[in-house]
Amino acid sequence: MDDKKDARLTVGFLCLIMILLIVGDCVQKDRLFSENENRLLQQRPALSRETLLDGKFMEDYEKYVSDQFVARDNWIELKTRSEVVMQRREVGGVYLGKDDYLFEQHLPENCAPEKVEKKLALLEALVRQYDAKVMLVPTADNVLTEKMPKFAPYFDQLAFLEQVRACIGEEAYIDAAGELEKHKEEEIYYRTDHHWTSLGAYYGYEAWKSHTHNLTPVRYDPLEMAVVSDTFLGTLHSKLNLPVKEDKIQYFPQTLARKVKVTYDYNVVRDSLYETSYLEGKNQYGFFLDDNHGFVEIETGYENGRELFVLKDSYANCLIPLLTAHYEKIYVVDLRYYNGRLAQLMDPYMGERTDVLVLYNCIHFIEDFQYY
Amino acid sequence: MVFSSIVFLFRFLPIVLICYFATYLCPGKAAQRVRNLILFLASLVFYAWGEPVYVLLMLFSTMSDYLHGRAIDACRSQKGRRWLLASSLCINLLVLGFFKYADFLIGTVNALTGLRIPLLELGLPIGISFYTFQTMSYTIDVYRGKARVQRNLLDFAVFVTMFPQLIAGPIVVYTKVEKELHDRKADWQDISYGARRFIAGLAKKVLLANNIGMLWEEISALDYGSLSVLTAWLGIAAFALQIYFDFSGYSDMAIGLGAILGFRFPENFNHPYISSSITEFWRRWHMTLGSWFREYVYIPLGGNRRGLPRQLFNILVVWMLTGIWHGAGWNFLLWGLWFALFLILEKIILGKVLKFLPRIVGWAYSMGVVLVGWVFFQLESLDSVTAYLQAMFGQGARAWYDGRTIYLLLQYAVVLALSLFFATPVMHRLGEAMDRSATGLGIAVRRLVQKVVPALLLLASVAYIVDASYNPFLYFRF
Repeated sequence: MDDKKDARLTVGFLCLIMILLIVGDCVQKDRLFSENENRLLQQRPALSRETLLDGKFMEDYEKYVSDQFVARDNWIELKTRSEVVMQRREVGGVYLGKDDYLFEQHLPENCAPEKVEKKLALLEALVRQYDAKVMLVPTADNVLTEKMPKFAPYFDQLAFLEQVRACIGEEAYIDAAGELEKHKEEEIYYRTDHHWTSLGAYYGYEAWKSHTHNLTPVRYDPLEMAVVSDTFLGTLHSKLNLPVKEDKIQYFPQTLARKVKVTYDYNVVRDSLYETSYLEGKNQYGFFLDDNHGFVEIETGYENGRELFVLKDSYANCLIPLLTAHYEKIYVVDLRYYNGRLAQLMDPYMGERTDVLVLYNCIHFIEDFQYY
Repeated sequence: MVFSSIVFLFRFLPIVLICYFATYLCPGKAAQRVRNLILFLASLVFYAWGEPVYVLLMLFSTMSDYLHGRAIDACRSQKGRRWLLASSLCINLLVLGFFKYADFLIGTVNALTGLRIPLLELGLPIGISFYTFQTMSYTIDVYRGKARVQRNLLDFAVFVTMFPQLIAGPIVVYTKVEKELHDRKADWQDISYGARRFIAGLAKKVLLANNIGMLWEEISALDYGSLSVLTAWLGIAAFALQIYFDFSGYSDMAIGLGAILGFRFPENFNHPYISSSITEFWRRWHMTLGSWFREYVYIPLGGNRRGLPRQLFNILVVWMLTGIWHGAGWNFLLWGLWFALFLILEKIILGKVLKFLPRIVGWAYSMGVVLVGWVFFQLESLDSVTAYLQAMFGQGARAWYDGRTIYLLLQYAVVLALSLFFATPVMHRLGEAMDRSATGLGIAVRRLVQKVVPALLLLASVAYIVDASYNPFLYFRF
């Protein structure tokens, strides 16, 4: 065989690869949603004079071809695997930690002092006006530091919390970080998700309890927690989509003892704090308080006249059930879904015996805490 | 449209190539014309995909130079020819000046005089600097009698608009492709070579440039005031590698596509980061731009034939132009001047000194100059340039290195090592040795490698393109 014939073979071989991919791509049906990436995929854009002239059609079409490319998930997996092989410590904003722990990356430069100052000013005003108590929870990277990749940079939330403490005063500051630090050898954060576990939330609850006066004595025992799922693969896993050990989701059965009435966004009424339907799907953390809602009202039937108003992020979802034993009513607000004036929302609920609690993880607080 | 996208690789390119090679089924002169027509139409689609309006500007430019070429050819008086050339150059430079430099000039005038002339805020037509330089080479060469006039409008339009090198070079002067425009042939070996070259370029862009670019992206977003010295150097070195692999990758892809279509485009990069002087660096970096300026500015200005002072002046002019060719901004001018300074120093004395020193000293000096140059090039405001340079040179109380440096070195260790390795000619030499090998084993290995390596690189590149969280186009300011 001479070089010429061999060149023909080379061209044929490379063409074959291209043809296989193109044919595969043409045969494959379009998908609406990517489970792995947890997002809607671009659909075939409509062609019109306007979209053609301003380039919108081309832009969308490029996204469309790429989003719907044959075996998209496998290509992404191939990329991620190659990055792991190349000894990357962080892939797609996720640190690959020890003992199968994944950590969301929070770089110090993304939490600029000016941004932090602004949020603190908002928080301080809230504390002054409503005598709010504040529990800001550090994320896993700041507590399980020994499991992080060596030298991996992260925003120092413990220093940030000292700043919070100094700003709002001891009286308002609930030290969840200190409590979690004491238990960092335990399973207080999920390995595959950015949330804390029910055990972590329990320690947060303990910190809250020791800070709040005149509570009905209730004791939860972590040993009595029940497993509702052992197939949980959370948001951090989704960013990588590599095979990892699955997490367990647990909860405190004691919280079922009392009959509750939960009203989501003023219209959907449920009789449980938990939604088991989520355990079938991907977003299993949604089990707690039906994932995220703008406004949730919980009536516990426990007639002690005490009420609690919670401003929170998703970290609160697995802690709030523990609070139901202490209040007659709990109002839960996720500020991301509320655009009106906060006072207008809160004031009608502010009675003599209403407590206010701000409950976020530090990062969500810096990113999302916002009101007018 | 950029080469490193699914839509180019799996829609545009296959369709164009199928149409193009289908013409080989009917041999003869007509097929050659049809091929040019296909190439022209494909190029229009390619350009209009990203610039649906400015495609008209490109056609205007094509038409203008075609007509000027014809007129110069037809004109019998030297004076008339001169006026026609001047007219052509004026139109080209006005187009370029208006779309690329108008806002820069207005901004400068405003800053100097305190006036408030509103900016035009026109988007820069992609590739305009590349294609105006190509068309200018044509009219100048026709005027000088170096190139024959092109009477066929289609052939000329193909020369200007040809999609492989349209948006990121190499700058192909007319005389290089004069014959091929009319009559070209690609045999299987050309096609095989072109495909492999294209894939190599794609891999350079997608696997090396984009990945090492993320390191620069991360470092350049930090606060320069607290950057450790080593991190600063690491960052700019990462950018140096990014732009090299990105740019030379684009050139490889263009040369590869050209080969598939039957063109022989000039080389554009020759391992610039092994240079041991700045003079050598510019003989190895963006070679087609360098030779364009040499041919059409430096030599007409007198080159080195009118004494040293005049030569130094010429160098200064050429490198100021080179600087602002890369973007309308003071930082690009500064970048050009920075190189002019060292080129002049090397002409006067430094070149002779370097000859006596070991090559590594010259290399270290050159890399230092080039890396500092990239700071000018990439950081647009004077404040950030100063702040970054202060970090590189350890101004103020800053650490030599910190945890972040070590983390980034570990995080990017493999990519960094691969990039440094491929920036040297080692692999290139190995490839040449393999090509020359005539033993049975050598031939067998070569034939295997020529299939397996491109296939793997193609698949890996596709994986990185599909999940393109970071796939920038770096030449939108050129």
